[in-house]
Amino acid sequence: MSPVLSWWAGGLAIGVVLILAVALVQPIGVSTQYVVVVGVLLHELIPTVADQSPYLVETAEGWTALTYEFIFVAGIPLGALLAALATGRLRWRVVPGEWEARFGSLPGRRLVWSFIGGFILLFGARFGGGCTSGHMISGVSQLAVSSLVFSAALFTSAIVTARSLYGDGGPR
Amino acid sequence: MKLLLGLALGATFGAVLQLSGASSHTKITNALRLRDLTIIKLILVAIGVGLIGVHLLDAVGLANMKVKDLYLPGVAIAGLIFGVGFAVTGYCPGTALAAAAEGKVDAWFTVGGGLFGAIIFAFLYPDLEVSLLSIGRFGRVTVHQVLAIPGVVIAVPLGALCLWTAMRLPEPGGMS
Repeated sequence: MSPVLSWWAGGLAIGVVLILAVALVQPIGVSTQYVVVVGVLLHELIPTVADQSPYLVETAEGWTALTYEFIFVAGIPLGALLAALATGRLRWRVVPGEWEARFGSLPGRRLVWSFIGGFILLFGARFGGGCTSGHMISGVSQLAVSSLVFSAALFTSAIVTARSLYGDGGPR
Repeated sequence: MKLLLGLALGATFGAVLQLSGASSHTKITNALRLRDLTIIKLILVAIGVGLIGVHLLDAVGLANMKVKDLYLPGVAIAGLIFGVGFAVTGYCPGTALAAAAEGKVDAWFTVGGGLFGAIIFAFLYPDLEVSLLSIGRFGRVTVHQVLAIPGVVIAVPLGALCLWTAMRLPEPGGMS
């Protein structure tokens, strides 16, 4: 399915969302809220364990998800769902085409790697203090040195990994 | 009021990710394989517009900046780790949420793995902090601060360069 918005319209819209966010509240960010979700859930289930992690105590401050930051992130799937419904692009799909062409149509294989990849993704994001939104879009826009370093490392590693994973490079 | 604003901005962001193909595994994967640069062009425009807009706001004192800490080599290692996850899943933490909402079952597992990764990091944090995260701490440094000039002086030309590069990079049809 080809995109509804062109790259310039999409990029412009993301830039405007960032500018509005910076003008009204603070720069955008996503990955911290993964910690907030697990922190709040863990605190509901086994509070003694949650209290043992200073990182959780600090990040999921007050053990509540009713914050501007969390509602912003919760809005992402809501907006994506409404946009997909409005344009007739809501599709159930387990194995993506590119993956299937390379690794076959076995759903289990794709789902296990999706989980492992998600683990690596958030571990890296929390280690670095941000993700594509917080570091690359917000951070680079603020000219943060940390974000420039993170983004350069991210793209180098992602391109090398993707090209070797999908068997590109070498003589074609 | 602030919560409603968060919902409106987040939902707009999610809708744009969906409509522009940023939540598409195919689009991300082919961008990283350097076969279809649509997403690279989109990111360059977002950063270009962001650089100019944020620093114009900052120049008149209206920006709420939040610069992240620099610690080396920690941030670079983190970026390398993140990149592997990005290539394997074809999603990032934000676009996985968007893709999950539009029926992509593999993105649910990426979100699940992400939540698991977040909790493991939280419990390893005290150890990581005393080892890797505390080395080479430079604090919240920005390029213009290092150069001791106003941010807008760098941000506007750099933003324009991002927009120009986005225009110059080939469209998917024009690539081999």
